[in-house]
Amino acid sequence: MKALMSVGALVGAIALLLLVGMILDVVPSNTVRLVEGYMPIQMLLEVACFVVGFAGLSYMLSAMGMAVPRFWQGIGFWAFVLLYLKFRVYPPIPFSVRAMYGTVSLVAVFMWVSANEDDWKKFKQPIMNVLDAQSGANKMLRYVYLVLIPILVGFASFDAMKPKSEEPVELRTVHPAPPASTKVAGKTYTLQTSQNPYRVNPEGKFDQEYSNKLIVEQGMGRLMAPNANPWDEKNQGYLKYVREGGEIFFQNCHFCHGDNLNGRGLHAFAFNPIPANFTDPGTIAQLQETFIFWRVAKGGIGLPNEGFPWASVMPPWEQHLTVDEIWKVILFEYWHTGYYPRTWD
Amino acid sequence: MGLVTRKKVFSIMALCAMVGLLLFPVVVSLPSLAIGADAADAEKKDEAKVEKGRDVYYKTEGIVVGAPAPKTVDGPKDYPRYNFESRVLLWFANQQHLYYGSFVLAVPIFCMVVEFMGVVTKDKALAKRYDQLAYDFIKISLTAYSLTAVLGGILIFTFLTLYPAFFGYLSSIFRPVMHIYALMFVAESGTLYIYYYGWDKMREGFLKWIHLSMSVILNVIGTLLMFLANSWIGFMMSPAGVDEQGRFLGNIWHVLHTALWNPLNLHRILGNMAFGGGVVAAYAAYKFLASKTDEDRAHYDWMGYIAMALGVAFLIPLPFAGYWLMREVYAYRQQMGITLMGGLLAWLFIIQATMIGILFLSTNYYLWQAMGRMRGAEKYQRYIKYLVFLLACGYLVFITPHTMVMTPAELKAMGGQQHPVLGNYGVMSAKNGGINVIITTTVLSFVWYMRGNKVSTVSWSKFGNIFMGCFFFFAYVNIIGLAIYGYYIPANVRVGLSVPQVATTLSCLFFMFALNSVMMKGAKQMGPIEWGKISARSQYALIMLATAFTWMMGLMGYIRSSVRLFWHVNEIMRDNSPWAYTHTVGFAANMISFNVLFFWISILFVFWLGSLAAKKAPAGAKADVPGSAAPQPAGSH
Repeated sequence: MKALMSVGALVGAIALLLLVGMILDVVPSNTVRLVEGYMPIQMLLEVACFVVGFAGLSYMLSAMGMAVPRFWQGIGFWAFVLLYLKFRVYPPIPFSVRAMYGTVSLVAVFMWVSANEDDWKKFKQPIMNVLDAQSGANKMLRYVYLVLIPILVGFASFDAMKPKSEEPVELRTVHPAPPASTKVAGKTYTLQTSQNPYRVNPEGKFDQEYSNKLIVEQGMGRLMAPNANPWDEKNQGYLKYVREGGEIFFQNCHFCHGDNLNGRGLHAFAFNPIPANFTDPGTIAQLQETFIFWRVAKGGIGLPNEGFPWASVMPPWEQHLTVDEIWKVILFEYWHTGYYPRTWD
Repeated sequence: MGLVTRKKVFSIMALCAMVGLLLFPVVVSLPSLAIGADAADAEKKDEAKVEKGRDVYYKTEGIVVGAPAPKTVDGPKDYPRYNFESRVLLWFANQQHLYYGSFVLAVPIFCMVVEFMGVVTKDKALAKRYDQLAYDFIKISLTAYSLTAVLGGILIFTFLTLYPAFFGYLSSIFRPVMHIYALMFVAESGTLYIYYYGWDKMREGFLKWIHLSMSVILNVIGTLLMFLANSWIGFMMSPAGVDEQGRFLGNIWHVLHTALWNPLNLHRILGNMAFGGGVVAAYAAYKFLASKTDEDRAHYDWMGYIAMALGVAFLIPLPFAGYWLMREVYAYRQQMGITLMGGLLAWLFIIQATMIGILFLSTNYYLWQAMGRMRGAEKYQRYIKYLVFLLACGYLVFITPHTMVMTPAELKAMGGQQHPVLGNYGVMSAKNGGINVIITTTVLSFVWYMRGNKVSTVSWSKFGNIFMGCFFFFAYVNIIGLAIYGYYIPANVRVGLSVPQVATTLSCLFFMFALNSVMMKGAKQMGPIEWGKISARSQYALIMLATAFTWMMGLMGYIRSSVRLFWHVNEIMRDNSPWAYTHTVGFAANMISFNVLFFWISILFVFWLGSLAAKKAPAGAKADVPGSAAPQPAGSH
């Protein structure tokens, strides 16, 4: 047990030093890299390591007779969470999300320090000491708080009420709800039931399973499925259509959506928000092909009112591409990112 | 002896009369239910004269027997008003009626369960306590029942006054079952009053079983009532049994049995139970905090625990029922699903996730506090911080929004729509993992609570503990592993992953509870549960639990209703009132909060009325003085 706690203490100490370095800008945030593909779980594991490290540190300090009071453990851990979110995770997290996380962490800290009566008493003790003011230092502190807290509340109220010239926050709808059907090039498509006509097997029949097998494998490293190279002239059917879709993509779409389909094309940063990142699991991976068809065909100006603020500058491609070309581009986007369109069966 | 026999005969007669009353509306309405058959006969007689329509959902052909949905126009004829937003008035009336309706439907189910526990338990003192508890429950709900009926009247008048065209259309569609609904109320009221006022008369032996049977009948009627009410909202969201113009095609079963009816039924039954448990637990908490004696504190502590346990028992499957409902919504109309989960209303789901998290966090917190009244539970205290960590991580993932609120500058700094790290928490795969981690942790807290003051004496207790630890460990690994795996497979397969995740969570629930019970059979008691010796914080957690339930019900009702956007009846009858737009998140949140506040103020009044008619508990019904070997309620064994 003691050996385990010692290891924990070592981990905690190193992790703390790294975090302090990042806060003071001595150590860059990406010193310990967040590895693409593993980032979300890596972040949770890092925080778990910190928790284990703090437990080890606390144990070792207690063993050395230098126990950290429960009050400061609670406050310290909450401060750590706030600093970790601000200085460790990159790119920067929007304030609204940090505020949500901070609030949850505060609740969690409260639950921890008040889970039983002994802990709760220990946690409250410094507060009670100041309120009782039995010593000179505590009496002084009490007066300081008496003056300071109303001033702080006053300033916070003033700051909340004063008119601001900051940009307003936006709550943008990423996936505006599609209509039940859409009319493109004179033909009506029911979004719920329409299919990509080019997702076909060698016999020329629609076959989602067949085409799914031929997309880029989604394992780490994104390897190409064997014998599934669309640029091989011999390949026919689905893979041929992927190739044609790729050609259309690189003629029309990659300027904004990027060579890697990650939304960082040549012109991307002229727009805010930047174009959609198809490699993100939250975009085309979540949607039916017909949804993409509707979005590509209608562009930004074709979005429904309830999608506001949609802030999209995509042109209505139905005016520039044929229906077949739009379907092929979509086929290529799914193939390239390695995602499967949503289906309902 | 003869008296008892006569009592038995009368009781059986009363029971038969009630069953007859229950079946009466159905018998009376058979002719109107057979309207479809009549129509079929008419079809054979004279095919040339009838007009046929195609069912918008079932795609079957039927003979048109109703008028088309009215095409309303904004004006005093279709939308009379009081210089105030009619929709808000209707919202308020609807919500209050729903709150009380849920409460009075849920409480008799509790009564049935608790009364049954009292009947089957061998411990006489404990049986009395259960019986008293069931009586207390029904007493609370009786005043609320009258208020529910009053609010139902207010709701109908609000409909008639402010939305006459819409209400007229809905009444014409549901005409064959409208009077069944009304007659069901008569049956419900009659049964409830006999059940309540006959409590003392039917306290012993065979009569007690008759009384218990009445509670079953009461709940059957209540459930059917709710199913009928659900069919209206189901029809408004996913109409069936009508053609494209909204004309009734003669088959009332199609109108009732819409795409969303069954998921709504299941979700609402569970939701009502969880809500009812929360409200009764809050009542107990309030009485506990106001108690002057140790005896009262012990009684209300126990009452709060039982109500909380019942409520949470139904809370645990609730997210899964909700998941099924959402799945059916997507299957019915992708457009609706995306509006809800990825579009206009997505942020409300983040608020919902926050509320669900609060429910589970409050439950866990209460259980940890409750360990404080057991000697021997100290051994678990040092590990609570790790449970807090698991809960917090699951919660953070669960509430991470897919669409973040941010300034354009933050958007630019982030370099895209989604955050490369946190954006991954915003999708369903991660959220399923998050909520299952939370629920599994809650199960673990329950297991600790159940074994808090006991030491297993079975020979294989060490093996049992190791097995249990490994089971939970691999459950977490499986849940989190599947959540990660969900990113690498097609969406239709990913949706299916929720099944093994749920199965893992439920395995923990059932197998670990069962294993724990076997291990704790004949266990060494470290000391009795000292009812009443619990911190005040725990009672605030119960009040928090109830408030979160109330708020969440208001929120989800709003989401369900507003997903129709500008339709009274989806794609059939358009809302042409000036209020056919979706409120801002802020306005909706304020309105929901007002409804919650009003409900709690009014229910406090109901509690107060209940206390005016306070009935002295029978001797031995209250808990013994804490510290003595008080009888242990089920669930703590």
